[in-house]
Amino acid sequence: MISLQHVTKIYKNDVIALDDVNVEVEKGEFVFIVGASGSGKSTFIRLLLKEEEASKGDIFVAGKNLAKLTPWKVPHLRRNIGTVFQDFKLLQDKTVFENVAFALEVIGKQKHVIDQRVPEILELVGLGDKLNNFPDELSGGEQQRVSIARAVVNRPLVLLADEPTGNLDPTTSVDIMRLLDKVNRIGTTVVMATHDQAIVDAMRRRVIELDGGKVIRDQSRGVYS
Amino acid sequence: MAGRRFEYFFREVTTGLRRNGLVAFAAVSTTFIALLLFGLAMLISRQVNLMIQATTGNVEVAVYLTDPVNPQTVESLTSKLEGLPVVSNVDYETKQEACDRFKEIFAGQKALVENVDCSALPASLRVKLSDPEQYRQVAAVLEGQPGIERIVDQSRFLERLFAVARVFRVGGLLISFVMLVAAAVLIANTVRMGLFARRKEIGIMRLVGATNWRIRVPFLVEGLFESLVGAGAAILFLFTLKVAFINPLYNKILFIPWVTNRDVVAVIPWLLVAGAAVALVAGLAGMRRFLDV
Repeated sequence: MISLQHVTKIYKNDVIALDDVNVEVEKGEFVFIVGASGSGKSTFIRLLLKEEEASKGDIFVAGKNLAKLTPWKVPHLRRNIGTVFQDFKLLQDKTVFENVAFALEVIGKQKHVIDQRVPEILELVGLGDKLNNFPDELSGGEQQRVSIARAVVNRPLVLLADEPTGNLDPTTSVDIMRLLDKVNRIGTTVVMATHDQAIVDAMRRRVIELDGGKVIRDQSRGVYS
Repeated sequence: MAGRRFEYFFREVTTGLRRNGLVAFAAVSTTFIALLLFGLAMLISRQVNLMIQATTGNVEVAVYLTDPVNPQTVESLTSKLEGLPVVSNVDYETKQEACDRFKEIFAGQKALVENVDCSALPASLRVKLSDPEQYRQVAAVLEGQPGIERIVDQSRFLERLFAVARVFRVGGLLISFVMLVAAAVLIANTVRMGLFARRKEIGIMRLVGATNWRIRVPFLVEGLFESLVGAGAAILFLFTLKVAFINPLYNKILFIPWVTNRDVVAVIPWLLVAGAAVALVAGLAGMRRFLDV
């Protein structure tokens, strides 16, 4: 599903963010990317979204070679990838329903599809009774659920999560991890960058550890360190 | 699908306009003034051309022929004139053609056309010179030839008239061009403010895979809408000016042809095209580098 072959990323200021990284992620896997701040986790995520281009090496996502993807095809790549961030990125002037619907609306989905899928997915993330609330009426955990709902409502092949529990307390984080696990179990490949040790240790999933842009460990059913 | 898409764009555009109302108003009024000047320049230049046509028939040297015209005279005079190196072109205008031209020029003034018996207008040879300074040569060749009523040299007069017309046209176009640039800057600004106000939304749109055009079109349409409202106002104002100032002249100053409604209508597509072009260029410039994937 995801394949990085000898990928190096050097930013314009000569910072080497990733250094000869080789990673294969199969369909349906759940992978943690761990490492200290500045180890290259976020660059890893940004490369998969083609927000950045690799300086060297090849990246394949859902069968597509990202280097050969023309700019006007990038949106179609992103329709196959859901994304979740630490800061939720919800629109404050839209309700929960509208926030999730927005993701379908802007890729041209029809109203009847939206009206069917949005309540369905909000039910799945446990917010079936908060459709008409605004983000600032929700707790942090609930807001992250909305953002996960938005990320998966278009049924992407891959879900990328960049520190999704970074702003949440430990109990809420566990709930979010349960939800991501649920999303993974319905067939979505999940790649999650984190430095939340407790969560990684509790989940016992594949762990890829980055340090200074290099993969220093790739372990199935791993722990944080 | 199409209906839903239209609804989406419509909603985006109207919220955009509401959000930066004041800047949008500035953009609309600048476009209005720019296009009004543009239209005025075109109409004034049209008016000057009409006057030139009425007074000179756009002809440098007119050789009026005595009535009735002998076809052989026409032929021999034509070949004589064409033999001269300074003559670039000779046209024969019959009495009927002179009459038709008169009616066309004064199409706006029915009273004049109906009351003038245009059979009084003479036939003529209309001569174009490659060098207006050499008029004397023409006069010399035609001296003493039969069948000529009168020779009129308007070449220098015409040159001056056209110079005046050019000043009006170029001056008007220049001023309106400067105004159009100002309008473009303001429209680019509304587009950019709109983008800035919605950068979070745009960020999400890009993340979930909205195409570039899906993101851009509402902003472009917003700019287009602003400039077309300005263009519409300019068109209305031009008509008002024409009705208020030109219409009373129709029956007062008979022997000058005045611009007609049709001339104003002919300007409309130019205003719309200029407005749309300015909006699109401004829109695309305003969102450059902001929206690359």
